Amino acid sequence: MEIRPILSALLRNKTGPILVAMQVALSLAILANALHIVSERRDVAARPSGLLDEASTFYFSVRNLSQDTPEQMLATIKRELEVLRAVPGVVSAAQVSQMPMSQSGGTTSVAADFRQQRESGYASTYFTGDSMVKTLGLKLVEGRDFLPHEIPEVNERTNAEVPKLVILTKPLADKLWPGAPAVGKTMYFGTGDGASGAQVVGVVESLMSAHAELGDTGVSSLIMPARQYGQGGAMYALRSEPGQRERVMQEAEQALRKASATPLILRTKTVEEDRKDRYRADTALSWMLVTVSVLLLLITCSGIVGMASLWVNQRRKQIGVRRALGARKLDILRYFIVENVMITSAGVAGGVLLGVGLNALLVSRLEMTRLPLSYLLAGAIVFWAIGILSAYGPAWRAASISPALATRST
Amino acid sequence: MFAYYFKLGLRNLRRNPALTALMVLILAVGVAASVSTLAILHVMSGDPIPSKSERLFVPFVDNGQPEDGAANEEPEDMQLSYQDAMNLLRQHPAERATAMFGTGMPVEPPRKDIPAFQAYGLAPTRDFFAMFEVPFLHGQPWTAEDEARGANVVVLNRTVAEKLYGDADPVGQRLTMKGEPFTVVGVLGDWNPMPRYYKLIGSGPATGEEFMIPLATAVRKELTPYGSVNCSQTRDPGYASLLASECTWVQAWFETRSASERADLQSFLDNYASEQRKLGRLKRNAPNRLFDVMEWMEQRKVVGNDTRLSAWLAFGFLVLCLVNTVGLLLAKFSARASEVGIRRALGASRREIFQQFLVETGVIGLAGGLLGLLLAFGALALIGMQSRSMAAMARMDWEMLGMTFVISVCAALVAGLLPTWRACQVTPAIQLKSQ
Repeated sequence: MEIRPILSALLRNKTGPILVAMQVALSLAILANALHIVSERRDVAARPSGLLDEASTFYFSVRNLSQDTPEQMLATIKRELEVLRAVPGVVSAAQVSQMPMSQSGGTTSVAADFRQQRESGYASTYFTGDSMVKTLGLKLVEGRDFLPHEIPEVNERTNAEVPKLVILTKPLADKLWPGAPAVGKTMYFGTGDGASGAQVVGVVESLMSAHAELGDTGVSSLIMPARQYGQGGAMYALRSEPGQRERVMQEAEQALRKASATPLILRTKTVEEDRKDRYRADTALSWMLVTVSVLLLLITCSGIVGMASLWVNQRRKQIGVRRALGARKLDILRYFIVENVMITSAGVAGGVLLGVGLNALLVSRLEMTRLPLSYLLAGAIVFWAIGILSAYGPAWRAASISPALATRST
Repeated sequence: MFAYYFKLGLRNLRRNPALTALMVLILAVGVAASVSTLAILHVMSGDPIPSKSERLFVPFVDNGQPEDGAANEEPEDMQLSYQDAMNLLRQHPAERATAMFGTGMPVEPPRKDIPAFQAYGLAPTRDFFAMFEVPFLHGQPWTAEDEARGANVVVLNRTVAEKLYGDADPVGQRLTMKGEPFTVVGVLGDWNPMPRYYKLIGSGPATGEEFMIPLATAVRKELTPYGSVNCSQTRDPGYASLLASECTWVQAWFETRSASERADLQSFLDNYASEQRKLGRLKRNAPNRLFDVMEWMEQRKVVGNDTRLSAWLAFGFLVLCLVNTVGLLLAKFSARASEVGIRRALGASRREIFQQFLVETGVIGLAGGLLGLLLAFGALALIGMQSRSMAAMARMDWEMLGMTFVISVCAALVAGLLPTWRACQVTPAIQLKSQ
């Protein structure tokens, strides 16, 4: 292992090695940070919504153009639900006020005790006139769902009553009462003497909020019982048999339109579409980062191969002399591989430092998260491997140079 | 000599096709990445109304609860309550002012073959059109009397007008919206400020609002505000209590005659706030703010972190491509050592060799720029597939086109400095000897 001769040869002609080391360092720094961001975004976009069968769940937003009294609107809602439940293939239908990941919905502050100074957190507020737990297929881990007689009919224009019962998601329950069962406890909407409270009847494992925010708020939701009417329209969530969503969507829409005396404005959305829309920007960024990473690797590879080929060409005579003096092909090969590993190692060392620096910059200026060292380590290993593999081709060509070259004068 | 070197440079592109192609490609990819992200950044952070951006202001008075957070913490929602907006509109000293909120109404088209649909619109006051220089294709904004009465008048955007009435001028026609007949008084021309800076909170559709009705009309018809409604206290149900409450859902703008009147506007706002405090409102005692157009866009983080990340990443990528190009250029020029030796022996000075190779590098830069431009268009198209609002942003204008070539040539020149300098150092004697 002739490290000293290799090192002194490199130091004599520094430009090429420095260029390669710089490329490796830059690529490693950018790659580690980029892949870390990709992995984070993918985790965010893959967060479960809590629904049993996302692919079969969809919802209608219906607006009626007729000028009804509030009581007529209530009757229309009940009638529309019956029509929907009669469509073959519908497992369950429920009136809801908002849907998870739809980017449209209400949030409220919540507190475990109204005497608190500040609220315990925020939660997304879902109202349902039927069983949202059954329709969305949410998993109850404590307590029970609302009973039909517990669901009041609420005229939104005149009735300000806050429901007295609530179902929470487990993360929210754990935040309000860590370690203790939540069923039976009272949760408050905000703090202060005027804050109203509701009793917890059940806890579901998870339900993503309507805006699917990052962090705690995205997984803190509450469901309250209320059949809301009076605004001239309603939202219905439906779950179809697996694999039958498209057909059921069409038939349900036709059934609703047929059952209505006046024209309806109907908007259909599936939960899958909502998920795609919500994470569109993150997905696009991930793809861009992946593309850039692949290009980075390709360019660095080509840089290493190019440089190695150039040196081989420049040192043909020297290699020929060595071979003539008795060096085996393996010795030449080993020389070039070791040389390349040394350059790549210098690049990797620089890259690790640069990567940490770049990450610090991203954290402070762009609100990104810290890079775990495992990414830099994995990146270092990848670039070592690339360095060796890229140098192999030119090194083998060098080894194949015939000793006769040494005796030629040109 | 420059033209000669240029021709030489072009010819030498063909010399070593594989190496040159690789060099041009790598440079093009780096340039494409930088230019496409830069173009998006340029659109997002550009001044949407340069003639007025220093004279248009968004006022903000904080009517939250004292316990909502420290007084110097900026609240998430910076809209105004209905009361504050109306008071400011009535009492302001500025030349023009407007308040608005987003809303929606079902539209029943006059033609039976088009089904009823839900339209998304804006409810501003009359001055909106003059303040934001909104172009009209037909008709004009509603009159002051229409506004005072809360009359059923509507201005449609071009797309909706064409959808309902084709190419005919619909001014004067009746349109049924939310069950009542509205008179069309105008049709907007193409108006696509990027971003839609006039309403950054709870923004409407990316292609623009479909209709505009007077604020007074929307309030009279009790239309639900779309977008963000933020209530720091509980309120009674019903529209009247929404208007009287401290819920914030209205956005307002002032226009002054010149940027120097900002201080007057600020003192007006401060006086208004202290009057309101005497009445028991605005308990948070937070500073009252004024933002001009660019400051408002900055406050609302129009250029998000992701966009900035993309731009930084693209430039890092360009630097990598540059370093790679330096290596490739070194390789390319070192093969021409004998040619340089002959030129020098014939009397060329080092400076002339430097010029020749620098021009050649510039030619490579131009070629890279050309290919990079094509790739950048492709990249922008790909980025635009993300969403409709992104598609509107991912465009190249003449400035960016020129910028592509500037970046490409400059990058190539910077990359070429070291190899060119090396090429000049060739000693003629050694090169001639080895023949």
